[in-house]
Amino acid sequence: MWSFILKRLAQGLITVWFIATATFFAMHNVPGDPLLNDRAMTAAIRANVEAKYGLDKPLGEQYVIYLGNLMRGDLGISFTQENREVNDIIREHFPVSATLGILAVLFAAAGGVLWGALTALYRNRMPDYVIMFFVILGISVPSFVLAAVSQLVLVGTNAAFGVTVLPVAGWGTLSHMLLPALVLGLGTMAYLTRLMRSSMLEVIGSDYVRTAKAKGLPAARIFSKHQLRNAILPVITVLGPSIAAITTGGFVVELVFAIPGLGRYFVEAVQQLDYTVIMGTTVFYGAFLVFMVIVVDILYGFIDPRVRMQ
Amino acid sequence: MSQAQDLLTVENLTVEFDTYGGVVQAVRGVDFSVSGGETLAIVGESGCGKSVTVQSLMGLIPTPPGRITRGSARLHGQEILGRSRIDGREIRGAQIGMIFQDPMTSLNPTMTIGDQIAEPLQVHKGLSRRDAAREAVRLLEMTRIPEAAKRAKQYPFEFSGGMLQRAMIAMAIACKPDILIADEPTTALDVTIQAQILDLLQDLQRETGMAIVLITHDLGVVARMADSVAVMYAGKVVERGSVDDVFYRSAHPYTLGLRAAMPSNDPAIKQNLQPIEGSPPDLFSPPPGCGYAPRCPHAMKVCCQQPEETRLSDVEGVRGHASHCWLHHEKSPNKPSELYFSDRSGKGLEIKGAEANS
Repeated sequence: MWSFILKRLAQGLITVWFIATATFFAMHNVPGDPLLNDRAMTAAIRANVEAKYGLDKPLGEQYVIYLGNLMRGDLGISFTQENREVNDIIREHFPVSATLGILAVLFAAAGGVLWGALTALYRNRMPDYVIMFFVILGISVPSFVLAAVSQLVLVGTNAAFGVTVLPVAGWGTLSHMLLPALVLGLGTMAYLTRLMRSSMLEVIGSDYVRTAKAKGLPAARIFSKHQLRNAILPVITVLGPSIAAITTGGFVVELVFAIPGLGRYFVEAVQQLDYTVIMGTTVFYGAFLVFMVIVVDILYGFIDPRVRMQ
Repeated sequence: MSQAQDLLTVENLTVEFDTYGGVVQAVRGVDFSVSGGETLAIVGESGCGKSVTVQSLMGLIPTPPGRITRGSARLHGQEILGRSRIDGREIRGAQIGMIFQDPMTSLNPTMTIGDQIAEPLQVHKGLSRRDAAREAVRLLEMTRIPEAAKRAKQYPFEFSGGMLQRAMIAMAIACKPDILIADEPTTALDVTIQAQILDLLQDLQRETGMAIVLITHDLGVVARMADSVAVMYAGKVVERGSVDDVFYRSAHPYTLGLRAAMPSNDPAIKQNLQPIEGSPPDLFSPPPGCGYAPRCPHAMKVCCQQPEETRLSDVEGVRGHASHCWLHHEKSPNKPSELYFSDRSGKGLEIKGAEANS
């Protein structure tokens, strides 16, 4: 088990290095210039600034310096925001995004497994049709529409009750997190529901469930010990990519709900060609996702003995 | 079949399935009985309703689309069909154990073998986890799995097919059932393993005194294992009786056809494989008469028009040997006794005329 974890971590490091390298060269090949500004710069100032950021050196040397800094955990200083280190930006805003993302993933996974199992057990009956209708809705409606509509509904309910049932926007308490997490996780939940449904149907028709029935086990025991655990495996497999989808999709939801997350910096940096912020956040997000996928893999090993033994 | 009180009696069992193409009459009135400690083999070709018959006894037919429309099955004189699910649980796994065709897919891949064997003990016998686990190891030893204690902690993917089938058997006999239903238990295994599994079943039967209902299409397995045989065709039992009666004094033309189709490894007999021409009837709309009539070399006009004599009479005075066939009717031009000519080597299967015979 430990060698399995170490191997996955080593693979993860290589992946992160690849992400860093690709981002670096992609950024430096984008037409434009981070120092292009409304205010014209004299050649001397420009040379000074370039020297400060190390942009005057050849690309290869810049790359080596960048990698060295990266390994020390130094992501550099923002080009556009005065005296702000990328590390500071991440330290301040990532916990917000992560909380929202993890809440959304938990919500999506729990909901997906529950609804998926339910639709499979009630296949082609009323609960199945009702849930699958909402699943199609959840997959098709983009999150910004859902975010706006849910805010409207919330404004309505708050007005109707005369008190703030849930805050419409902002950040701070758990009540602020609930609605954005729900909106952010809903698409993934719908997707996981469909996956869980088909996986559960397969398990229900499997030989070993028939064996369990032939052993005379109660339906509840068959469900928990034989059906759920086997049906959940494919859901766990896609949980890694789902986390990616949710965290990168978080930007829109953060914007609509006025949440001070990392997503805003991520996007603004691209618009302003803020090299260090783009590379810093990209590499950080990449590393985070790689780490989550490894966590999912390890989790998978605990549930499926066939993976654990390899 | 013995004179003793029958352990399991199945009468006129009828099972149908609703499909998009219509209603399939998979089992059309099956009768058989099993007495304690005996082995009954149910033989027949694919799709003749063997598996559906036993699965309906175990309540394993998915409903819908399946439904048991008629018939009864009594275990120890008590009706077991159509009882509530909870009662059904008292029977399956406890009084009737079952093993299946493919051991590779019939065990839960994410649960240890020991836990899977311990499960019915916990549910039916109320054993604690530890006691059940200890009993599971003992059961694995009983099915002659080496290093049972270590093997009990392993998962199905660490077992070979033959070992898995042994584990399946251990699981099925865990609660000491009166009957073990084996649905083609050796079909998925290679030949040497087949023999080992059959030996094991026979040994366990001797030790525990349980009855075995063996579903198979392998007549060699029947000859080796069975005390009595029920031959099924198109959802009905066409002939039943002791293994000797059915094999060597076959009364139904289908049984004769099956026997003729058996390859022989006797070099003295040079005969080509004789298949039964044609194919079984469409069970969406089964024929009014005998299902075998279109393929039967002895078919008469009446065979296609009316259901064959349902009186499962004793053929030629032998108790328990019965056959559904118009040829046994008293007005039949071919007397039933004329069908009996068949020796061990498979020669003389044809009906002989009265003159040739006398």
